[in-house]
Amino acid sequence: MAARTAAQAYSWGAVPRRPGPGRRLLRTASQHPAGVFGLLVLVLFVFAGVFGPSLAPYDPDALAVGTPLAGPSWSHPFGLNQNGQDIFSRIIAGARISLTISAAAIFIGATIGSFLGILAGYYGRWIDYLVQRSGEAFAAFPSLVLYFMLRAALGPGMKAIIAAIAIGALFGGNRVLRGQTIIERNQVYVEAARAMGCSEWRIFFRHVMPNVLPLVIVLMSGALGAAILAESALAFLGLGVEEASWGRDMSGSNLSIARTGYWHVVVFPGLAISLVVLGANLLGDSLRDIWDPRLRR
Amino acid sequence: MRQYALRRLAYLPIIMVAVSLVTFFTLRLPWATDPVLQYVNQNTTLEQEQEIRRELGLDKPMLQQFAIWMGQVARGDMGETFRSNQPVWEEIKRRLPVNLEILVLSVFFSTFFGVAFGVITAVKQNSPVDYGFRVFAVFGQSIPDFFLLILLIVLPSIWWNYSPPVGGHVSFFDDPWENLRLYVPPTLLLGVGGAAAMMRLTRSTLLEVFRQDYMRTARAKGLAGRAVVLDHGLRNSLIPIITLIGGQVTALFFGSLILEQIFSINGLGQFFLVSSITADFPVIQFLVLYTALIVMLMNLAVDLSYALIDPRVKYT
Repeated sequence: MAARTAAQAYSWGAVPRRPGPGRRLLRTASQHPAGVFGLLVLVLFVFAGVFGPSLAPYDPDALAVGTPLAGPSWSHPFGLNQNGQDIFSRIIAGARISLTISAAAIFIGATIGSFLGILAGYYGRWIDYLVQRSGEAFAAFPSLVLYFMLRAALGPGMKAIIAAIAIGALFGGNRVLRGQTIIERNQVYVEAARAMGCSEWRIFFRHVMPNVLPLVIVLMSGALGAAILAESALAFLGLGVEEASWGRDMSGSNLSIARTGYWHVVVFPGLAISLVVLGANLLGDSLRDIWDPRLRR
Repeated sequence: MRQYALRRLAYLPIIMVAVSLVTFFTLRLPWATDPVLQYVNQNTTLEQEQEIRRELGLDKPMLQQFAIWMGQVARGDMGETFRSNQPVWEEIKRRLPVNLEILVLSVFFSTFFGVAFGVITAVKQNSPVDYGFRVFAVFGQSIPDFFLLILLIVLPSIWWNYSPPVGGHVSFFDDPWENLRLYVPPTLLLGVGGAAAMMRLTRSTLLEVFRQDYMRTARAKGLAGRAVVLDHGLRNSLIPIITLIGGQVTALFFGSLILEQIFSINGLGQFFLVSSITADFPVIQFLVLYTALIVMLMNLAVDLSYALIDPRVKYT
């Protein structure tokens, strides 16, 4: 039998096809189990936030649905507080407030911040100067002082909280985006587009913008955890909204009753905050690893 | 460099005036909280209300109020609080040591542990130690600081029936041991979030530096591992670390308030919180100016330290 040549050994059948998008997603997911966990946690909390009232076994504000201060049991998995309110139901109700405020703040802040950052990076000159300096000015303000200024200007309530968190997110992200845009701006494809006679706005929106947009999602998911923490801290200090929220349930009389040994009153809301922030942070880290290895920090 | 520092210092008063302008007029927006409402009830007559308004100096036109206030500040007089008619500066001086101690201790803990863990994890990259500390960092950044502080109070009371001391302030100079017993545990926990952020930053910066050619050179010429990591590696990652310390001081104004709230310490944050809710203008105005000044001076110090760390940095 004649020796087999390399060409004979080579299978001339169809080249194995590139895995489809579903398969690729699965592969990425299996490489980032922590990120998948984070996503699941977030989905769980969003679900609780959306369908909260119909999911909760009791009305979160109803008084005396059981023995006040009773510890965790089968009918009240997280126990009851001193008003006899079911803590599990209150935690489900708190998801809505917490996630609404932080998601709105991140959406507003990151959208404006990304636009400004990309514009500053692309255009440079006075816009860049203006955006950079105002970012430094806001960073110099302790967030609490900023919040009180906004509270004075907008009145207490959700608007001021969202605005304060949004401003933090706005200037947090735009510096990174500015840097990335400066890199993209000097790429050959921009030059090519310009040589073909594209207008500056077209280059900005059609060519540069899509190349930095994945970063925006990375920044948004990274900022979500910090936003939830900020919201719960404000609520804890009694500066939040009126509705049931995790931070508020850990303060005031609940805190003083917890000092006397009824730990479940404050520990479960605290665990809820920690878990959702953990989920957001894990998801953010994984997205960053997937989309932007340079940002790994 | 001296010229740069002087120019930055020359900007300070301009920024301070801008900050005070914004603060002053934001507080007096027509729809903002009216401080007079704090001192009236349903039996107060309109004349009495006018009288209170006149006493607080809020009856004059706004620009005149601003001029009066600026004149006071220029003479070093911070005015009197609306609530108790005490000099603002006296009220603040009493509470300042508490805040400074919380700030200094938490920044110290977060920097010390953050940098130490960062160096360890960078040197032992992808080892079990590295993974352990990274898990700590992820959790440290996710657990709210007020939850950690609450656990500090609640957990010992369940396990050992012991409550850590709450409330009351003992000056460090009167009784250092008692003072540290009071402040070290909470500030240590307050620094956890900062330490986690610091550790991740130190680790990634160091790993970047480790890839540089001069690190290989340092090893090749036979320097001890410790000297390579600390003198060559860490020194070249100091700039982002110092920048983060600056940011953490700003963030800790918030943390300090939370600590005061949980441990019932009557500090500056508590004072600011109460004054903000009751619209005690002189206090708010002074505290905003004070924090702005501290933060700006600190940012200047951070910027100037770059030249000390890295001789290649030139100021223009």
